[in-house]
Amino acid sequence: MPRRTQGPLGLVDPVAAQMQTTLFRALAVLRVVVAAYAVVLDVSRWRDFERPLLGWVVVGVVVTWTLVAGWAYDAPRRRTTTLLVLDLAVTAGTLLATPWVEGEAMLARHAATLPSFWVVAAVLAWAIARGWPGGVGVAVVVSALDLSARTHPTGTTWGNIFLLLLAGGVVGYSAGLVAEASEARAEAERVAAALAERARLARAVHDGVLQVLALVQRRGAEAGGEAAELGRLAGEQETALRALVQGASATAGAVPLPAGEDLTEALARLASERVTVSGPAAPVRLPRRAVDELTAAVRACLDNVSRHAGAQARAWVLVEGGAESVAVTVRDDGPGIAPGRLEAAVAEGRMGVDGSIRGRLADLGGAARLVTAPGEGTEWRLVVPARQGRGRAREAPTGSGSRGRRPPSA
Amino acid sequence: MDGRVEGRVEGSGEVTVMVVDDHPMWREAVARDLAQGGYRVVATAADGREALTRAAATRPRVVVLDLQIPPPDGVEVTAGLVAADPTVRVLVLSASGEQADVLEAVKAGATGYLVKSASREELLAAVGRVATGDAVFTAGLAGLVLGEYRRLSDAPAASSGADTPRLTERETEVLRLVATGLSYRQIAERLVLSHRTVQNHVQNTLRKLQLHNRVQLVRYAIERGLDQE
Repeated sequence: MPRRTQGPLGLVDPVAAQMQTTLFRALAVLRVVVAAYAVVLDVSRWRDFERPLLGWVVVGVVVTWTLVAGWAYDAPRRRTTTLLVLDLAVTAGTLLATPWVEGEAMLARHAATLPSFWVVAAVLAWAIARGWPGGVGVAVVVSALDLSARTHPTGTTWGNIFLLLLAGGVVGYSAGLVAEASEARAEAERVAAALAERARLARAVHDGVLQVLALVQRRGAEAGGEAAELGRLAGEQETALRALVQGASATAGAVPLPAGEDLTEALARLASERVTVSGPAAPVRLPRRAVDELTAAVRACLDNVSRHAGAQARAWVLVEGGAESVAVTVRDDGPGIAPGRLEAAVAEGRMGVDGSIRGRLADLGGAARLVTAPGEGTEWRLVVPARQGRGRAREAPTGSGSRGRRPPSA
Repeated sequence: MDGRVEGRVEGSGEVTVMVVDDHPMWREAVARDLAQGGYRVVATAADGREALTRAAATRPRVVVLDLQIPPPDGVEVTAGLVAADPTVRVLVLSASGEQADVLEAVKAGATGYLVKSASREELLAAVGRVATGDAVFTAGLAGLVLGEYRRLSDAPAASSGADTPRLTERETEVLRLVATGLSYRQIAERLVLSHRTVQNHVQNTLRKLQLHNRVQLVRYAIERGLDQE
């Protein structure tokens, strides 16, 4: 059951408090209307009262409390349990005074109580502040008091009691729902604002910091010596920051789809001064596990590059996403591997190629293929099915040999 | 990255250049490099509006354009420049790496793309090549173009017509090699083609995409009844 608004002390959320204020203002209007009805009713029949003077006092209390309650409930800090109890007590008082004022004869005719419908105001106040249990609970109390004032209840009395209980329950329940909805909306607005702020920061970084870092890199390289080292560092930071910022602005564009993660974005984090990552403009979505495994496989490929082709070797990562399969190509411009050397290395257990690359790809229902020749660098081609969990990848986009590879469905 | 390559292409006479960048430091650095490299910088601009008016006044051969500029943005400026003068060459020089923007600029008519971290020599070579009508691709741009063709061919049949551009097998092969860092010369060696043929393949991939983009724009305009006025 939606019951989020927990009294004045529990009201941490200003949004819920604001929502309650709106509801209490509506109740204040209702209170005036039912008070006016009670006043008109009692003025029209005061000659029948057994104790007219006490009757006027009760009418005065109804009017006064209507005004006081309208003011008191308007501020969240005044909406204390004391106020609610006081509201109920005043209502109870007017009900209890009824037999004294109206006398046996009137009550025998099933005349309305002195406050008449005005009692609903206290029930609704509890319902708004304490949810449906509060509304129903106070409706029961008020109904009991009403019954105590009557000599013998009729069908009308029971009908009114039923309506009172219903009002307490329904209004209480709705007030809870409204509070929840407004909290949810406020939360969504906060998230949207945070994302917009991230996007704004990303733009600021683009327009300023990245430009300066790139400039430092370029000028440093030209100046040579120590400046070149500074330039190189600036270049590394520029690449890292750009990858970071690209991720931020991508998330800010739209709430991430539950359909999976963007492989290109994940691999872009591996980019560095020596590693270039490229791919389509649109996200290539795969389940999180597939993205993690592919990223790990690509990282293993890149580790092999720096280990075997030297720290100066450059590498390129290309992501291609199709309806059938997703392919990642990792190429380096190192010296390449002589035929048989890889197999020998695997046999000696020196290269983690099988485990970290082939094994991971096989787990995803895909395949890894290595193309290499002395002087031509090495090229890994990793292919997985676009729809994960649906059998093995058709090895469509791969050919064989470093020359004459066949393109997919061109 | 293929930008650092094959040396300065002989410009027939002086090549005029305009530099568009809202970052004053960058604008001056690039303009100075170009001037020292033998190009004639006829204008600089800090935002899209300036770029369009100054290009109209000075008719540069090459526009070196940052995509992240005050409006109209780099993509709109590219479209505007090419519409006003189809012979102008636009070289996108962007720090952004904003993939979608780069692709849009290329579809709008840019024929070259370089990241700002490219060296001075790469920039000078790229401007020279763009000026003679060659396309300057980075690995990143090749990946984007490959992805765009893939998207077009994977699109549901209803939205893709007979005029949807497709890559030939050879073009796909060449683009994939560019995207994995091979220079045109290396590609030519590997595929046993002439350097010129590789160049043409790359250019064709761009030309088809740009043509398709123009057709789409015209079709859109006709559907919306914009051709009525």
